Amino acid sequence: MTPPVLTTDRLVLRPLSADDFEALAAFYASDRSRHVGGPKDRADTWRQLAAEIGHWTLRGYGRWGVDVAATGACVGIVGCWNPEGWPEPELGWDLFDGHEGRGYATEAAAAARRWAYDAAGWRTAISLVSHGNGASARVAARLGCLHEADVEGRFGGAQIWRHPGPAAVL
Amino acid sequence: MGHRDIPVIRTRRLVLRAPEPSDYPDFKATFTSYRSRFMGGPLNPYEAWMLYAAEIGHWEIRGFGMWMIHAADDDRTLGMAGGWQPAGWPERELAWIVFPGASGQGYALEAVHAVRGHLYRTGWDGAVSYVDPKNYESRLLCDRLGAVLDPDAPSVDGSDACYRHPSPAALADTRLAWAIDREIAHHADPALQPEGAPVD
Repeated sequence: MTPPVLTTDRLVLRPLSADDFEALAAFYASDRSRHVGGPKDRADTWRQLAAEIGHWTLRGYGRWGVDVAATGACVGIVGCWNPEGWPEPELGWDLFDGHEGRGYATEAAAAARRWAYDAAGWRTAISLVSHGNGASARVAARLGCLHEADVEGRFGGAQIWRHPGPAAVL
Repeated sequence: MGHRDIPVIRTRRLVLRAPEPSDYPDFKATFTSYRSRFMGGPLNPYEAWMLYAAEIGHWEIRGFGMWMIHAADDDRTLGMAGGWQPAGWPERELAWIVFPGASGQGYALEAVHAVRGHLYRTGWDGAVSYVDPKNYESRLLCDRLGAVLDPDAPSVDGSDACYRHPSPAALADTRLAWAIDREIAHHADPALQPEGAPVD
């Protein structure tokens, strides 16, 4: 399926495409990706991007590229993530280098969460936060999530943060 | 090319369609099994799912990709065939996998022949296939398709063999094309089935 376009005060969430490859390759080549399965080389990053796109067809939801509306700069990848073997459907955010500290991840994830509850029929959502990823835990807290458990995730130990449900955010 | 724009290709016995979510269990069964040993497998379920998602995304990024091969008579899945070029691939590849239980009946030959014709008609001027040297079935299929070993061509990982397919001009109206059609006919028509074990 073709992902919808979502807009917030400052951001545009739009479908990922081949044009996102270089930014994603830079992210996965950097230490920033250590909490989300990285680092990855360019070949593995390409397959990750292809899988992000195919995720929409397989699940009916997926992740978006997030651009700053005013400048067009891509600040990261945010959205719904649930490959086989995932604990449960997740709202995830990968923020690219240089775009921290402005609330972009929180703003984009809140929009993705509203869409997941309203359009994709989710009844609940989690976010997985790798141990030691304090910046991501603060995003989860700002979104109203509660740290409910720890899990041995695909990329090592992680915290499960539970989002407030549809009634609380729609 | 988006997933919904993937064309349908029909042959004598096969229907090649976009890989659908409903086909995933068959894909997973193959790619978590020893059958996938020449395609980077066996994979765990997470890796199999991510590869299947990437096969679908490949269409969006490259404009071509892998079709799911179905039997025309009862729609069961038989394997996959198509164009494949993820990052790191030196050239555009014609790739295939036949699911367990569907080999030995010429399905890969019929599917790849049709896919190659489709891609040549829509702009490809040639293709290669990267084959593990121990994958005798696929090396035989390269031979039957008229692809020849190209020892000077770069390979994906240095250990696979690069087979180069005949160009569109070298394939058109030749004895090779006739022989491929004839072999497919042998498989498709019970009256023409050869003695002995066919290879696939």
